[in-house]
Amino acid sequence: MSAARRIAFVCPRFAEHGTVGGAETLLRQMAERAAAAGRQVVFLTTCATDHFSWANAVPPGARRLTDNFEVRFFPVDPRRDISAFLRAQNLIDRGAAYSTDDEQVWLRNSVNSSALYSYLREEGREYDRIVMGPYLFGLTYFAARLHPDRTMLVPCLHDENFARVRAFGEMFRSVRGIIFNSAPERDLARRLYGVPAERTWVVGMGLDPFDADPERFRRRHGLTMPYLLYAGRREAGKGVPLLLDYLDLYRKLNQGDLRLVLLGGGSVPLPPDLAPAVVDAGFVSEEDKQSAMAGAAVFCQPSTNESFSIVLLEAWLAGAPALVHAACAVTTHHCRRSGGGLWFMTYAEFEAELRLLLEHADLRRRLGAAGRAYVQREYRWPVILARFLEALDHSGE
Amino acid sequence: MTLPNQPAEQVADDWSASIGAGDEDVARIVAEIRANVARKMEAGAYRDLRIAQAERHNLRNLRDDEQFLRFYLECLHEAAAVDINDFEIRERRRWGGRLLVAVKKSLWHLLKFYTYRLWSQQNQVNGLLVTALESVDEKYRRRIAALEQRLAALESGSGEGESACPRPGA
Repeated sequence: MSAARRIAFVCPRFAEHGTVGGAETLLRQMAERAAAAGRQVVFLTTCATDHFSWANAVPPGARRLTDNFEVRFFPVDPRRDISAFLRAQNLIDRGAAYSTDDEQVWLRNSVNSSALYSYLREEGREYDRIVMGPYLFGLTYFAARLHPDRTMLVPCLHDENFARVRAFGEMFRSVRGIIFNSAPERDLARRLYGVPAERTWVVGMGLDPFDADPERFRRRHGLTMPYLLYAGRREAGKGVPLLLDYLDLYRKLNQGDLRLVLLGGGSVPLPPDLAPAVVDAGFVSEEDKQSAMAGAAVFCQPSTNESFSIVLLEAWLAGAPALVHAACAVTTHHCRRSGGGLWFMTYAEFEAELRLLLEHADLRRRLGAAGRAYVQREYRWPVILARFLEALDHSGE
Repeated sequence: MTLPNQPAEQVADDWSASIGAGDEDVARIVAEIRANVARKMEAGAYRDLRIAQAERHNLRNLRDDEQFLRFYLECLHEAAAVDINDFEIRERRRWGGRLLVAVKKSLWHLLKFYTYRLWSQQNQVNGLLVTALESVDEKYRRRIAALEQRLAALESGSGEGESACPRPGA
């Protein structure tokens, strides 16, 4: 078929600030690059910026960012039954028995926008492809039902109980194509939903290489000792409490003044003995983030729910060696392929690997360099954009 | 790691000498670390309640790991008994130190009098629970092992008797 000239993107939030998640960043980057490649791009999103309250924070309407890239904001439906939503969510999250009605209650009371659905229902045929994600929200589920023959799903799928919601199986099987961030994510979808291989594409996200000053962040925060870095949302689902417990115990059982630097937002209580060793830098500029990564002895990604882990690849670009949780198929896959990091399943493994890295500066350097080479080889924007456009242009053939 | 029965240097150093120059095979490094950790766990090096506690957010990931469950039960076994014995009461402040120690000792005797029954019952409950858990674990391990043996015997039996079954289309 001919190239997909007009492309709509659908995502619950538009990544304008540093507070959004990886999926939103990924979709915005894809939209911008597709526009820069000459495609007509419209990004359909809600007026919400906070993924807990989903309160409308941005005025509805259209904003043109470039000649061929427009963002349209639609209000979130005001009437959400929060208690019904939480009741259903709790059942699903615990892996308890739940009905298809419970699933529908959960999806209908998730983030939804009737205005966005109306627009898509009326104008959807104007677009050659409608790219949408992540999979977890009512907005994606209901939008995908409007023009499944044109819909390309970017699910950012995790191995979690929500992925077992039957309605999502129906969504994955009905859309034109699915664009995954990594091979383990694709394998998970094929295992869970039986999606045929010919409708799947592994693309990922491109990253621009950078050179960072490792001393800049150290100087600013008075860090003269080695530090382990975590960057991202501080949530239980991201494995942050596990990392805090592990590091607290590591410091008690081992000598040396190892610090923990936290970048990003969210609130997780710190163990009292660990608190004095934590530098909570919060949200920082891109330059500071890159400097913090370049200066880190080790970058740790404790999350087991990753479909890509942009931050891990960024840390590698900065030359930091990585420690990741072995229960995450995606980050472990990156480490195996790159040779840029080690993976742990238990505290004992975490401790042995962290000690090994801290005691062998040369090994740290080599792992960091291997990680950087991997990202530059596999995730250069020209390569990624070509894969993405190929998926859009040739899906369904 | 500075566990009482494990000198710190031994944990990493007895195998990390094999980390060489050039391209790192991270899978090999992780495999060596795992083997080393497994050996040390077997020798009781990580049998520390604090380690079991540090895994509280990791249990979902470890639930299928048979070796870890055994380790966790060992940690529980070590930690089940609450120490209700007397302990040394000290006071760092010089001024009034003796008086403070005397006050604290009297307070402890009072507390001990009222809480002894509670803690000893708690110890009984903890001990019974751990014993029950260990028995259940042992029972199911034995049962699974017996079933696996039986399955293997049946499979080898059916393999031998394959020629006796008519093949489709034959």
